[in-house]
Amino acid sequence: MLFGRNKKNPIKLVDKGVVEWRYTTCGYCSTGCSIEVGLDQTGTAVASRGVADADVNRGKLCIKGILEHELFRKTAGRGDKPLLRDYRHETFREVSWDAALDKTTAEIKRIQETYGRDAFSIVSTGQIMTEEFYTLGKLARGVMGTNNYDGNTTLCMASAASGYKRSFGSDGPPGCYEDFDHTDCLIAFGSNLPEQHPVIYWRLKEALEKRKFPVIVVDPRVTMFAQMADMHLAITPGTDVVLLNAMAHVILKEGLHKQDYIDAHCADFEAFKTEIERWDPYTASQQCGVDEDTIRNVARLYAKAPKAMSIWTMGINQSTHGSDGVVAINNLNLITGNIGKPGSSSLSITGQCNAMGTREWSSCSGLPGYRVLEKEKDREEISKFWNVDPEFFPKKRGMFMTDILPAIETGQIKGLWLVATNPMTSMPNTSRIRKTLEKLEFLVVQDAYSDVETNQYSHVFLPAAVWAEKEGCFTNTERRVNLIRNVMPPNGESKPDLWIFNALAKRLADGKGPSFPETAEAVFEEMKVLSKGEDRILDISGMSYAKIEAQRGMQWPCREGDETGAQRLYTDGKFQHPDGKAKLIPLAFVDNNERPDDEYPFWLNSGRVVEHFHTRTRTGKVGNANKFSPTPYMEMNPDAAAEVGVSHGGYARLTSKRGEAVVMVQLTQRVSRNMVFIPFHFHDCVNRLTLGLLDPHSRQPAYKQCSVRIEPAADQVAAAAANAAARAY
Amino acid sequence: MFEPRPKEPAYAFVPKVDHPEQNRWGQSIETVPQGHVLRGKSLNINGDAAVSANPDRYKQHGFYFNADNCIACHACEAACAEKNETPAHLAFRSVGYLEGGAYPSYTRMNISMACNHCDDPVCLKGCPTLAYTKFAEYGAVLQDPDICFGCGYCTWVCPYNAPQLDPVAGHVSKCNMCVDRLEVGLKPACVSACLANALDFGVIETKPENRIQTEITIPGFPDPNITHPNIRFQQTKTLPREMTRTDSHPIQYVRTASDSLPREAGEGWGGGEYRPQPLMRDESRGWGIKKLSTRENPLVVFTLISQAVVGAFLVLFFGPLFGLDMLAADAHPIARPAFLFGMIGLQTLALVLSTLHLGRPHRFYRAFNNLRYSPVSREVAGIAVFYNLLGAYTVLTAFPQLSQWLPLGLINNLTTLAGYGAALSGLAALYFMHSIYRIPARPFWNHWQVLTSFYGAMLVLGPLAVGLVFAPLVDESTALLGTLAWAVVAGLALEIIGLAFHARDLRRMGGEGAAAHQVQTTNFAHTYRSRNAAFGVALLAVLAFALFIPQGATGWAIWLLISVVATSAAAVGRMLFYALVIPTTMPGAFFWRNPAFQAHARETGLAKMPQVGVAMDCH
Repeated sequence: MLFGRNKKNPIKLVDKGVVEWRYTTCGYCSTGCSIEVGLDQTGTAVASRGVADADVNRGKLCIKGILEHELFRKTAGRGDKPLLRDYRHETFREVSWDAALDKTTAEIKRIQETYGRDAFSIVSTGQIMTEEFYTLGKLARGVMGTNNYDGNTTLCMASAASGYKRSFGSDGPPGCYEDFDHTDCLIAFGSNLPEQHPVIYWRLKEALEKRKFPVIVVDPRVTMFAQMADMHLAITPGTDVVLLNAMAHVILKEGLHKQDYIDAHCADFEAFKTEIERWDPYTASQQCGVDEDTIRNVARLYAKAPKAMSIWTMGINQSTHGSDGVVAINNLNLITGNIGKPGSSSLSITGQCNAMGTREWSSCSGLPGYRVLEKEKDREEISKFWNVDPEFFPKKRGMFMTDILPAIETGQIKGLWLVATNPMTSMPNTSRIRKTLEKLEFLVVQDAYSDVETNQYSHVFLPAAVWAEKEGCFTNTERRVNLIRNVMPPNGESKPDLWIFNALAKRLADGKGPSFPETAEAVFEEMKVLSKGEDRILDISGMSYAKIEAQRGMQWPCREGDETGAQRLYTDGKFQHPDGKAKLIPLAFVDNNERPDDEYPFWLNSGRVVEHFHTRTRTGKVGNANKFSPTPYMEMNPDAAAEVGVSHGGYARLTSKRGEAVVMVQLTQRVSRNMVFIPFHFHDCVNRLTLGLLDPHSRQPAYKQCSVRIEPAADQVAAAAANAAARAY
Repeated sequence: MFEPRPKEPAYAFVPKVDHPEQNRWGQSIETVPQGHVLRGKSLNINGDAAVSANPDRYKQHGFYFNADNCIACHACEAACAEKNETPAHLAFRSVGYLEGGAYPSYTRMNISMACNHCDDPVCLKGCPTLAYTKFAEYGAVLQDPDICFGCGYCTWVCPYNAPQLDPVAGHVSKCNMCVDRLEVGLKPACVSACLANALDFGVIETKPENRIQTEITIPGFPDPNITHPNIRFQQTKTLPREMTRTDSHPIQYVRTASDSLPREAGEGWGGGEYRPQPLMRDESRGWGIKKLSTRENPLVVFTLISQAVVGAFLVLFFGPLFGLDMLAADAHPIARPAFLFGMIGLQTLALVLSTLHLGRPHRFYRAFNNLRYSPVSREVAGIAVFYNLLGAYTVLTAFPQLSQWLPLGLINNLTTLAGYGAALSGLAALYFMHSIYRIPARPFWNHWQVLTSFYGAMLVLGPLAVGLVFAPLVDESTALLGTLAWAVVAGLALEIIGLAFHARDLRRMGGEGAAAHQVQTTNFAHTYRSRNAAFGVALLAVLAFALFIPQGATGWAIWLLISVVATSAAAVGRMLFYALVIPTTMPGAFFWRNPAFQAHARETGLAKMPQVGVAMDCH
């Protein structure tokens, strides 16, 4: 039985020599995993591990989190010095922080004085800390006074926020992960948990192993989640509202709705009922591609379940009916009484680590703490708190990110400040974005990576600290505020975003207006004061950094004196609309998507893969993640490929009404014969083709619905060379 | 000792459960009995002398993989990479997949695989340096990169792609079962990280909680009878009849029984086994020139030279016994020793090439460590004995004056002894050389044709070389070539018979062997056919030569022509031998562990970015 050497050698295993583990929170998606980074004797970050007693992840991490300490390694493209140039055709020169900030201040002032305050715009992110969002909001609204200030969350969660506001009167996902342990039926719309939020998937899997309940996945693609589900509804892209209307139709027709709940807590039921009357399952099936029997079956299953919940991600949000789709999900849950109870929820699964933070505190869509510019009371309150003239605030929200860029294109906006976002890769129709960015008189890019593609067009680059090179809070999908403790000092001369905001505030404010606390914790204490209020759901006044770390994250609302946060919203059936009720909103549906036709016969769908995050500025440099998809690829049906002459592993040329892209082909029956799927992470690829029609409510682009033509790349060698040349990581 | 996390969750600990005494192959699950000398010893992990009190320490452990659940989230691979700090181009654990069906009734089955710490570890037996040990502790098969000299033979014999030859570091490393974690009762890092409740770990033949099967195979997994792997599976979901791979291995897995048959006792799942069958995405016919040259090129040279040298020596030594007096030691006091020295030179060159082919050539002396099991050790030993006796024979016959002070009888006896020794050891070395390739995990090689090819090459190349050199020197060149021609005829006939049966048997055996044959008759069709034709033409020509024996310079010229044709055919054949083999390995993914993408990344320069995870061929 035993072989080998008689004399055993000592076994050598990797010993990382961790002497200290530092608590922090993962900086990728919005699951909000607590993570510990191990430092060795030299203070180098050498290991990552999940925090065992954190409720969110219970010791688990996904591939990105497991390798996250590698972000602290010095890699090519990591910004470590401020860069400056007068014209974008020049090469950058390294300058001091003072020079970079002075130049930025001067340009902001020049543009605002010459063209008006709104001619300088800011687009931020969902990646930095809540305290930083709050500070940036204060700077934008209270000092600079530009109304063209938004976050890139418009590209991911805007529809969810918009839908929540329309239905419930406020943003804020009402449920939590623990709902999996109580629910009797779960529907996932356009959400691929195993790939996008694997740790949330694990929580679901754990719940299912203890207590089986039906899981239904609505997705045009046979994702892993679709395969693991009890039912997979392969829906026609962009028609979720139709399916949801038809489900509501069945529920109302068969009297499966909870009339008591509707009477007590919902408004506008009659108007809703009238619209829903039109959406019988047969009519709906013709548009959404899900057969009428299945629609009836799923509707009955959901309505009859004692507790049911819906989750969704970008399949809903990134469509022309994104906000409507969210409202439709909320409608479904309202008529079945599935809000505010354990196991009953409309739970949007958020994208970025702190998309919630920007929604709550950045003032992008108004004023901090879910306040809005449109309410005089909110303007008064904040102006007093910030020491700003109330008339300095606009009375209406300005442009969204997706309107700011077109306004740059046509010259209304002359200057742009980008914070931790990369529209060159992430915006639809890349060629248009290139032309747009060329028109800027001044572009300042503030990012942890100097090789972020958008930096090609900048005049000033401000190197920012990444992830736990600084301190602050993130809010996750289930409204849990968690703490990012500072683990490592910033790389080179890079600085925490908070420091950069404060330094610019000092220069721009000239000693007038609001005060800007220096530490993240002091900012947090200031936010706590603003969050207090009996009628405020976003109340964090019961939290402190110490409590957050001890509890491994706390959910809001957490009122002053509360020991723990609240798991769910609207448990009392009281909503945030002035009448205290939720609105049942009738949803008409007009299919305005660019659909496949003879010239462009394929649906183009895009989405994430588990090993990458967003535009790969981080994960593209982590070998043990990047290697699973080191170069862009397209999933295509083999039968369709045979018709157009495209082969497995070869390169195809895709054209749309926007432009062209060359991509490697992976043949799989996971996609239908008239659809292809391309991950969105890669520069100069899928978004050269996408249309991105805007949702009328959220202004979020419909990335996942447009059409393309596919042919083999004529010269495969040249295509391979072009693909390799398009990426430095 | 490894330190568990504060409040380590229950899922991270190996459960204590009842288990049978023996596994299904009759192997005791207890690795060593109570009181055995191997008990109670420290594993000495990184010099830590502590001894774990884990009560299950002397039980065979193994992974458990629930294929119903795996979502290919890569958490296991990442956890392994993080724990072992493996570079991007290397992994102890890999996830690949099979897929089948048509949209939307499409199924993808992911397989996460590391080392199976087998009952019969073929890696350990094959390793010439004894870098492997199967420990009494947990039955873990561990490999020591500090002993390994990077020949990569374990990567050939392992059916699961567990040992990883690092072309940058020049040595092999592999899954270590996270024995440091086991010592404190924790499951391996990969298992603890699993986000789909697919990967588990425990005493072998036990089922994790909530699982209903302990199968020994799933579709895509190689025949467990090769090594008796310590992994158990669950796979209950019905799969499509045909499951394909996304990587470039020309293999699919097809269910043997029809869909409608009920499951029979003893059958794995869903009414029948999945067997590998050839499936080529590109069946175009060509020369395959680009793929003909492999990293095993040094072995092409090494094997052919060794076979030629052994063959030539046999002719020189035994020739005089068959009436070829012109080859006797005293017939050509200059040419014969010169020829012998030439052979030594060639053999030296071959040995140098094969040594440089190692990842760590300076450790070459470790090749003899495992004579008990490893055909590599035996081959190297055989060649070494042959090489030394050849040297002794050469010196004794080339420089008789050196040994004049010895009694003549003794010298003659010594010479004869060295000659017979060299002949026998040469023949034995070539036999062991052939044994190296008789690998169950490499069906294309695992055929007696390897033996006919190696001895065939010996019979062809050796006599041809002797003929080329000696024919111009001797008066009786017609007699010489006429006799040698029969040896060449025999060699070529051996080659051809072997190849004919090989082709027939490959087609019959199905699986990876048939796939390799399909590749050789399509993508390599022209090369394959030309080689066969060349052997055929050479055989007819030598036969004609043996019958008609052309005279003088014409004869020599024809001999030369035959030599060129036969040697080229042998060389091309040997290159095909290495280029065509398809291991019974685990399915890869589209990028990771996909040979086609790896080749593409090297060609296009993508591989120059280390984070692409493809090492440029450094070695």
